[in-house]
Amino acid sequence: MVDMSSLFEGFKFKRKNTIIHNLDPRSKAIYLFITFASALIFVEPIPLLIILSTSIPLIVLAKSLREWSKSMRGLLLFIAFIFILNLLSTPVNRVNYAASMVLRFLALTSAFSVFFLTTTPDDFMAALEKLGLPKEYTLMFTMSIRFVPTLARDLQIIIDAQKSRGLELEKGNFIQRVKNYVPILIPLIIYEIRRSIMIAEALEARAFGASKKTTPYIVLKFSLWDYVFSAIVLLFFSLLISMKLLNMLPPWMNIKLPDF
Amino acid sequence: MQLSEVVVEVKDLFFSYNSQFVLKGINLEIRKGEMIAILGENGAGKTTLIKHFNGLLKPSKGFVKVFGLDTRKVSVAQLARKVGLVFQNPDHQLFAETVEKEIEFALRNFGFEEEVIKRRVDWALNLMGLAEYRNRSPFTLSIGERKRLAIASVLCYDPELLIFDEPTAGQDYLQKERIAELLNLLKTRGKTVIIVTHDVEFVVTRFERVIIMSSGQIIGDGSTREILTNLNILSKARLLPPQIAKCAWLLSDLNIPKDLIYPEELVEKLKDLISGGHE
Repeated sequence: MVDMSSLFEGFKFKRKNTIIHNLDPRSKAIYLFITFASALIFVEPIPLLIILSTSIPLIVLAKSLREWSKSMRGLLLFIAFIFILNLLSTPVNRVNYAASMVLRFLALTSAFSVFFLTTTPDDFMAALEKLGLPKEYTLMFTMSIRFVPTLARDLQIIIDAQKSRGLELEKGNFIQRVKNYVPILIPLIIYEIRRSIMIAEALEARAFGASKKTTPYIVLKFSLWDYVFSAIVLLFFSLLISMKLLNMLPPWMNIKLPDF
Repeated sequence: MQLSEVVVEVKDLFFSYNSQFVLKGINLEIRKGEMIAILGENGAGKTTLIKHFNGLLKPSKGFVKVFGLDTRKVSVAQLARKVGLVFQNPDHQLFAETVEKEIEFALRNFGFEEEVIKRRVDWALNLMGLAEYRNRSPFTLSIGERKRLAIASVLCYDPELLIFDEPTAGQDYLQKERIAELLNLLKTRGKTVIIVTHDVEFVVTRFERVIIMSSGQIIGDGSTREILTNLNILSKARLLPPQIAKCAWLLSDLNIPKDLIYPEELVEKLKDLISGGHE
């Protein structure tokens, strides 16, 4: 059984005072977006490995290597799944392709890890608002993150309450086991809907949405570091991507892994 | 006096959550037929303690024996058959299409006969004054009714030990009286009843034994009179004394004893004082 809590460790914000944590969320968003795009553009293992390896120094600088490696270990099952599925479904260059897909997955998850480990949901929201996203949507996003622990607590209480009435989750065959969850999911869904209505009313009572233009809590500021960081990221990745698009990848980047 | 059998035995119970001790060395013995109120401020560990009584939580150290069974060795479902635990918020458990089916849930889990189920559902519905709602959806009931339904859904299988977490929270005066009546009924049926609450006034006239918890420990366990007139214990647990006791303290200059908890006692003493003054 994969321990779900350790899986999320690498994607949960942890307050630390490092260069990466103090970067403007927008520069981190640039990094996230551009690694995301390039990881999807490349199918060759060497460039994907390069993309993946850009996030490692950032994680080290953010002093979050432990959280990241915990998450990666939690993802081992997915990684094995991706490798085997691609190995079986590819006609030629199977190992090469399967390994690339694993590297792509790792590059994507690591980039996400860099971003979410070091950016508070509030900063993230401020960045999205700066980009012109309506406040309704950004608030929805931060609240959904904010309420994950609350939801987990409610779920535990409901499981306890139903177990106290004799519910045995592990009883019966597969279909029965799925059915066993009905008395847990229904109260959970209804409870959360009721809660969200209450939150909506509380927000409205505090004049949410009263004016189009609101005073921001967090004023984002691009520092010198942000300019340097963003410039390096943009330069490096545009070079990498343009090489691919212009078919000018050096031969060593095109090396394919041999099949078994 | 012959002591009745021990229903719950807690010995050196420690429980840790996230490497922090929530319960620190609880020792407790509860006998058949007792009515016990566990009082204490939020976070004192009351709910954590009662979750040990039906095995939802297992001791980190020490043991809990319920009806002679070590809770570490039996399943929650096995214990639940004898230990009914009513949670504070009914919305954490109601899920069925109708009130009737909600009550049936536990009975079906325990594998009762169809005929028995029907009888028990009728009984529980009448007892909690919900008979007219039997075909309604639980979600259309008022909060007070939902609370009563949650109680009915546990009472229906007639457990020997009943535990209520905050039964009076959010209930109006009339509902509180109804719950008190229910507790009395359970007592006359020979059940053991434990409630967890902060409602000192509710407890003072209705319970014989009071347990006070504070930061994971029991700081007072004894007769209601003895515990609820002990200022030291009450202030440690951040509880207000019952109003009658407070009155008696304020009147202590007039030779009113300080350990009064029933309104009748105080009235009696005041009458004596007044008539004594006239003679």
